[in-house]
Amino acid sequence: MAPTKGSAKGASSGGGSSSKPLSSGSRVSKSSKNNVKRPPPKEVKNKARTERENLSKKKKRVYSEAELNLPELNTITPVGVVKPKGKKKGKTFVDDKEGMMTILAMVNAEKEGQIESKMMKARQLEEIREARKKEMEARQAEKKSKLEAAKDSIRNKKKGKGVDKSEPATNGSAKSKPKRKSVAFA
Amino acid sequence: MRPLSETEMKTMFEKLANYTGASLNQLIAPTSEDGTEGERMVFRLQGSRVYYAPLALVNYATSIPRDQLLCIGTQIGKFSKTGRFFLNITSLSVIEKHARFKAWLKPNGVQPFLYGGSVVRAHIGRWSEDCPGSQGIVIYDMNDTPLGFGVTTRSTAEARKLEPTAMVIARQADCGEWLREEDTLFTT
Repeated sequence: MAPTKGSAKGASSGGGSSSKPLSSGSRVSKSSKNNVKRPPPKEVKNKARTERENLSKKKKRVYSEAELNLPELNTITPVGVVKPKGKKKGKTFVDDKEGMMTILAMVNAEKEGQIESKMMKARQLEEIREARKKEMEARQAEKKSKLEAAKDSIRNKKKGKGVDKSEPATNGSAKSKPKRKSVAFA
Repeated sequence: MRPLSETEMKTMFEKLANYTGASLNQLIAPTSEDGTEGERMVFRLQGSRVYYAPLALVNYATSIPRDQLLCIGTQIGKFSKTGRFFLNITSLSVIEKHARFKAWLKPNGVQPFLYGGSVVRAHIGRWSEDCPGSQGIVIYDMNDTPLGFGVTTRSTAEARKLEPTAMVIARQADCGEWLREEDTLFTT
């Protein structure tokens, strides 16, 4: 361990000594360049970091894919393969009151609608049935009245003829009776 | 034991809403008699069975191993393997408080019903007006004791015209199940 440390130190010291002459050399070259006439250096004031211009970062232009003219890849991904990132795996449990309430409200509204529609349907059917029943009754009554009218008319006819024809009618029936064929045992 | 997922919750509520009215939200957010918010009640799934219990009790139950936990709170019903939900007779106490349609049985109809029979028209003492056909209905005896629940086969108006022996309510669950199904009532 110790010797390596020592060697490292030595190397570093050696390096430092070798760099000095190099730097002096560069100075020499600079001095030679100084002979060329140049305009005096202007003082360029660096603007402070807190300056407004420096503070506002320049936005880099963001290229859209269409602008880049990239060759298109086969971007079709099967439906089952891609899964949304950051989403919980498996079941999502409902344990909070609000979640349960929303589900319940949805279910309740649905059921309410169903029952309402069922009742409406039943009522409509009932109305139709009632109407049909009434119609049937009306028809029956009409038939009955017709029958009654017919009966009455027959009765009236009979009554009209009745006074003078009642006797002949009875006579006729009496006369017709003997005409009937009869079988008798001797 | 775990909370119900969204779909499970929906299927369960759909079943419950067959029998109950809008007051069903009292199940989730019960209010005590003085109007303040009551104890928080939750649904939990243990095996295939759904239980309805106060949250505090559920929290206590976490100390019991899952396979040794037989029942907690009130059992509402069970999920079949295909994902359908069946209400159990144990849920009667929950349903009957919020029942939408009710039917009251005459004393001579109580026994046939408790032995698992359906309800015939002659056995009905009275029932809610305007009840449509194939609608969940809670069945009581004439002293307002809940006996079970079923599904109407005809609407009230139609049922009036039926002959006395015609079936008007198909039985879904009755209190006789406490004895008849004793062995399987709580098995998962």
